[in-house]
Amino acid sequence: MQGTIAVAQRILCELCRRRRSLILWAVFPVFILLLNVAILEERTQLSLAEAYKLATPLTIVGAALFFSCLGGTVSTVVAEREQQTIKRLFLSPLSGVAYFLGIFLAHSLIGIGQTLIVFTIALWGGAEFGGSLGLTVLVIALSILAYVGCGFILGTQIAKRTEDVNALIATFGVPLLLLGGSFIPAEFFPASLQEIALWNPVYHINELLAGVLNDRAWSEIRHHFTFLLSFAGVMVVGAWLSYNQMRERERNL
Amino acid sequence: MAILQSNAGAGAQSVVLRLEGVCKTFGTRQVLTNLHLSLTAGTVYGLLGPNGAGKTTTINIICNLLKPDRGQVWLDNSPLSHHSKNCIGVAPQQNLLYPSLTCREHLCFFGQLYGLRGKQLRERVKTCLELVDLTDRADSPAETLSGGMQRRLSIAVALIHQPKLVILDEPTTGLDLEARYQMWSVIRHLQERGTTLLISSHFLDEIERLCQRIGILQQGKLIAEGTLPELRQHIPAQEIVTIQSPVEAAVLDRAHALGLVTRRYGQHLALWIPELWELKQILEYFEGIPIDAITRQPVTLEHIYLELTQQPAIQTLG
Repeated sequence: MQGTIAVAQRILCELCRRRRSLILWAVFPVFILLLNVAILEERTQLSLAEAYKLATPLTIVGAALFFSCLGGTVSTVVAEREQQTIKRLFLSPLSGVAYFLGIFLAHSLIGIGQTLIVFTIALWGGAEFGGSLGLTVLVIALSILAYVGCGFILGTQIAKRTEDVNALIATFGVPLLLLGGSFIPAEFFPASLQEIALWNPVYHINELLAGVLNDRAWSEIRHHFTFLLSFAGVMVVGAWLSYNQMRERERNL
Repeated sequence: MAILQSNAGAGAQSVVLRLEGVCKTFGTRQVLTNLHLSLTAGTVYGLLGPNGAGKTTTINIICNLLKPDRGQVWLDNSPLSHHSKNCIGVAPQQNLLYPSLTCREHLCFFGQLYGLRGKQLRERVKTCLELVDLTDRADSPAETLSGGMQRRLSIAVALIHQPKLVILDEPTTGLDLEARYQMWSVIRHLQERGTTLLISSHFLDEIERLCQRIGILQQGKLIAEGTLPELRQHIPAQEIVTIQSPVEAAVLDRAHALGLVTRRYGQHLALWIPELWELKQILEYFEGIPIDAITRQPVTLEHIYLELTQQPAIQTLG
């Protein structure tokens, strides 16, 4: 537990030192929310409050959590490998689980901060959310877990340098977000893209969070929840295997 | 080549580290062969060897980062395990620091990883900063420190949990002369406090100055081990005399006639003198041969090392 807190503190401390990054983390989802709202209000003839209500889950899943938790985890792991500080961690008694949880905790705090900012603006814009608070928190926590797990896999297996992170996010991340309905709601997609979107985890997370916030029946969102739960499980197992592989590869001094 | 070993005084002190018959192979390449090594508490042990001799592999095995194919490693009388990490502090060759974290934040972070907290952690951080003379720079980010300071911070990180064994891998590589002297001062300070140190270095003068026992690795085998006086027995000479002459052949002939062993260290022709000779005596022995310069020096670790590892720089003459 102490190792987990130490890792999280260190990540947050490094982030706070680069104050500009912290400000950008806060500004980015706000921008996306306001743009989404402006487009939806104009193009779908929704009221401002309804546009906020529709845009909020998409912004949280796509703009906030995806970049801070997935992108942030990739950056953390890649920087650790590039600076080779990971070797120092291998020399210490820190376990792989504590390391993963430390990264999860740090990026959760950033993600939760972004989520609170987005909700605050949406509520200020007149949006009203129903649904269970507990289920909302659970969905956000599972999303963060899945994103951190995915970031861990990409950071240990694919990206080798900090420059690779941008290319990786641009190549895989942006199409996933578009196809997940984070920028344009999936109901506006042509039928063929809607079929493909069914295989996209971001789509299911978006639909699940929107469903929970709109207080839809459990039967309507259950398959999205099952998808997210399975995806998070696969990502955590994948992260564990990737960590072990990285340790074997990079542990020598 | 026979291994020269001495256990003088070893019985009285507890053994902190013991390697017994350690072997390691990478693919078909045997990196370590039947390595036996023992470090008593409070000893500064120097591990020498050319590139590829197996020094880093040995350190990796001691740190439990690599498993030996055969043999056993004992740390503080227990076989090596995950818990051994609490007993070892390592300052790797590269500093491996977080650029934006300050010295204090580094020590707090690594201290927490080793289970330190609260007042105990704060006191250890303070002590370690004092030990490496970084108290004034405690709140400076690592990226703003000089190379020497970064290396000292790296050593402080290795010391934060008061390990039983501290491993310094190439502690002064890449440092300027002043930073090297500062590093030596830190190492001497640690030695005075009774810290057991294992130093791997390419700088023979450094090992000679700092270490009480020295091991020389070559091709994965410990070819010599002991104190400096014990290692000097590999060269049966009281001093080494280097002679610069336009007619080296004549010097060589005369040296062989006197029964002296001759070597070439780089460009210089050197003679092993079995007993201390007066300068007048040397000049008399080489009378009639034009001589530009004569240099006399004691047998150093460099001579021993070259003799044992038979580097290309040394040529046996005659």
